[in-house]
Amino acid sequence: MHPVLRLVNRNITISLNPGFLIWQIIFPLIYIFVAGFAYTSLIDDVPFENTKLDYPTYLATGMIGFNIMNSTLISGIIIWNDRRHGMFEQIMAGPFTRTDYILSNICTIGIVGILSATIIAFVGYPIFFDSIEFSIFTIPTLIFTSIFGSILFGSIASIISTRLRSSEGFNVIINTVFLFFAFVSTAFYPASGTPEPLATAFYLNPLTYLVDVIRAGIFDTFSNFIIIEMIVLIVLAIGLFSIATRLLTRLDF
Amino acid sequence: MSCITTNSLSKLYDDIAAVDGINLDVKSRQVFGFLGPNGAGKSTTIKLLTTLIQPTGGSITILGTDAIKHPLKVRNRIGVVLQQPSYEPTLTVEKSLEKYGMMWNVDRKQRKDKVEELIESFDLQEIRKKKNEDLSIGQRRRVQVAREFMHEMELLFLDEPTSGLDPSARRKLLDFLKNKVKTGLTIFYTTHVLTEAEYLCDKIAIINKGKIIAVDSPDELKNRFGDEKTIKIHIAGIQQNLLNLLAGIQDCKIDFNSGTNITIHSNKSELVLMEVLQLLNKNNVIIEDLSAIPTNLEEIFIKAVNDSNASSA
Repeated sequence: MHPVLRLVNRNITISLNPGFLIWQIIFPLIYIFVAGFAYTSLIDDVPFENTKLDYPTYLATGMIGFNIMNSTLISGIIIWNDRRHGMFEQIMAGPFTRTDYILSNICTIGIVGILSATIIAFVGYPIFFDSIEFSIFTIPTLIFTSIFGSILFGSIASIISTRLRSSEGFNVIINTVFLFFAFVSTAFYPASGTPEPLATAFYLNPLTYLVDVIRAGIFDTFSNFIIIEMIVLIVLAIGLFSIATRLLTRLDF
Repeated sequence: MSCITTNSLSKLYDDIAAVDGINLDVKSRQVFGFLGPNGAGKSTTIKLLTTLIQPTGGSITILGTDAIKHPLKVRNRIGVVLQQPSYEPTLTVEKSLEKYGMMWNVDRKQRKDKVEELIESFDLQEIRKKKNEDLSIGQRRRVQVAREFMHEMELLFLDEPTSGLDPSARRKLLDFLKNKVKTGLTIFYTTHVLTEAEYLCDKIAIINKGKIIAVDSPDELKNRFGDEKTIKIHIAGIQQNLLNLLAGIQDCKIDFNSGTNITIHSNKSELVLMEVLQLLNKNNVIIEDLSAIPTNLEEIFIKAVNDSNASSA
């Protein structure tokens, strides 16, 4: 077996614990089925591109992006745990190169990202079933967002994990950053109608781009703006991934 | 055949030499002990030899391969147990052994057999289902060392592998390692416990301030550094004037504090002993007990390090 695949196998084994699965599945389900329907009494239709969606549908599709982002935390946690518990050094003293280690992390977050997106897409499907507009772009768009979203957020988590040693510091920073990403985005509510500074902040957040592209894929509402958002996603993912790789390569023992 | 060869190997950190031009020649199928005080450069040397860090200067050949040019080739043939603990907290003991074997591409059937073999050899039966995060430091260390034997290797680096182990587990590990050497393994072993080195090692190098200050077999080191021997004589009854009489004996240092115990330190211990015995006999002093204390590695270590510190000062 190729060294990268062996490391991916190991990464998935150490990451898939009950706590993580609960975080990955139960948490978004609560958002979709509790918050989604509870807020229906307050929120009518939500405008998205040239269409209008009911709130549970809007939220369920947002949760796909939200879950991709959450799942990529795994990357930072793996690197941080490996450093904290001496496994990074041990792996590097074994039959692996740093490139193998980095690639295995990308593959792991890619796999977990796609699985997370698939799970939420299946769970949320009955909710957005009525509004879904299947096209030849739907599945490729979901795969595209899963991969680039995973790389993007996985790189952010990796960068944080390479800079911090203490568990308190790591948890505080990760939670703060991801809290901002989650709630200052279009995952839960549209940017239109929010105060101007907040709407601007939405578009400083990569999760907004990820969620918009996912919705465009599901509801077939591609526009020039969505294409720009896709390009931004690609550029950000590549840029952040380069930084993460550089920092990982420089990690000293 | 040489397993490890280094030539003028050095590693600088901000102009401070952690390893200062060391030359090593470790033969195959032996345990090579690497001793030194804290901060002497032991762990840095291991990191250099295992290709974890790049040297500032010099060359390293491991198992006939240039370790600086082909680090991965070297790492595929060696095993490493580093000083710092390494474990996956959420995995059970048997799962972590199994996964480590998988990481080394050991096939499934062989992995299963190896796990059982190592659980038996390292007394891990009772904790095999426990998660690594729930183990004591000593148990975790045992798992860490056991894990390295999940894969085949020609050379094993052990950086203080017995730290945290109880005496029985320690002895068991040393015997396990001795048996492995008989099957062809070469071991590069660092420790602070000098009795361990004496028990296990075929050859010993002492490092201080990044420099090798002595390399030889334990016996040869004793001959070289341990020429001063200690003889203890216990006499019957307190002899008040004996100290003055003993003071006349040359080439030795004599302690006679309690009035009944004489301790002689000398490089010419046999001659000095003859003189002391004659003197005691002449003064009708009855000897109740006489013992010669052999030089141990600890004394050699302290002497070698002190000599090195004195010469560098």
